[in-house]
Amino acid sequence: MTEFKPTILAFCCNWCSYAGADLAGVSRLQMPPNVHVVRVMCSASVKPEYVMKAISQGIDGVLVLGCHVGDCHYMTGNHRTAKRMPVVQKILKDIGLNEKRVRLDWVSAAEGEKFQKVIVDFVDEVAKLGPNPLKEVRF
Amino acid sequence: MREEHGNVGPVMISKGEDPGDVRTDVPYQLITILSNLYPWMTDGKKIAVVTRKCDEKALAEFFKRGYFARDRVIQIGLACNREQIRQCRCSDPVPSVVDIGEPHGGLDTDALSEKLMAMSSEERLRFWEYQFRKCNKCFACTTNCPVCFCDECVLEERTFVPERGVPPGMSFHMIRAYHLSDKCIECGECERSCPAGIPLLTLRKLVARDFKEMYGFSPGDEKTVSPLLTTLEGESLDGDECDEC
Repeated sequence: MTEFKPTILAFCCNWCSYAGADLAGVSRLQMPPNVHVVRVMCSASVKPEYVMKAISQGIDGVLVLGCHVGDCHYMTGNHRTAKRMPVVQKILKDIGLNEKRVRLDWVSAAEGEKFQKVIVDFVDEVAKLGPNPLKEVRF
Repeated sequence: MREEHGNVGPVMISKGEDPGDVRTDVPYQLITILSNLYPWMTDGKKIAVVTRKCDEKALAEFFKRGYFARDRVIQIGLACNREQIRQCRCSDPVPSVVDIGEPHGGLDTDALSEKLMAMSSEERLRFWEYQFRKCNKCFACTTNCPVCFCDECVLEERTFVPERGVPPGMSFHMIRAYHLSDKCIECGECERSCPAGIPLLTLRKLVARDFKEMYGFSPGDEKTVSPLLTTLEGESLDGDECDEC
């Protein structure tokens, strides 16, 4: 039996997390290859609808990464994200999915190692959860 | 509400007119009508509306977002009867001022949501999957919702809800649940108007419970805070962009 390899979607904010990902890459830190990075201008521009659409179309996990609270390039963007994402997690829980499939974390541009750690942790966690049950649901 | 030709519909009575036989026992969200009517009102004129507790909460959400002026809407409090409270599994049915009807206490529990939360997550997913499969994307829940007041509805965006395809997929109701999470007043109109009989009110109740746990906020709170999910504490609502998205 082949090991389950989750498909992960990571929304990275342009100013911190994407630069952090860049640093992780330049530093040649080893990371699992199942993460698709989407660059967004701010973590607050990740509409919860995008997360829900991804989940309902069978993505195994969604990672939203932004600047640390207080460091947002647009002053208050990540405060908003911090308010919204927990609601998404709760809705997933109410529908019957595991709320751990969505994670919000903060990675700054200098934290290449943290980026690697977050990715490794999240991939491990989602791999433990198994495939997204909605992958089989087609309608 | 008045009965005409065997149907009960909303009725508008102007000053000096005889109200005649009006019915107050039919559950109906008059705020939906009011929100359509309000832009057509002559300046300086006032309108009175019969409000249940849920209508009152809806009005609070409208005031908060600045859609209605507080001094132009007069509220006539209506207490729901036992049968209506049972139908909505309402926990808070008594309006702040009772002008019509006799106040009855609310119910504490909703049998279906208790049952769902006791299930394992796989069973719960199967339950909702079965329910959402019945959806035929008629948008009755959105049209009849008193607090769906966005100018541009996110559910009409093709990115999220494809133009073709019935049922619309799992994300339709998840997106709607998210969008209503900071303003749903649990009036049950979506569930009543749903032709497929999806227990939408139960989903709202589940989300509302989590929301209260997380932020200590339930929609319709008479606080002057702006919409919780789109604005930060103390931030004012200005600018002409949509406040909801």
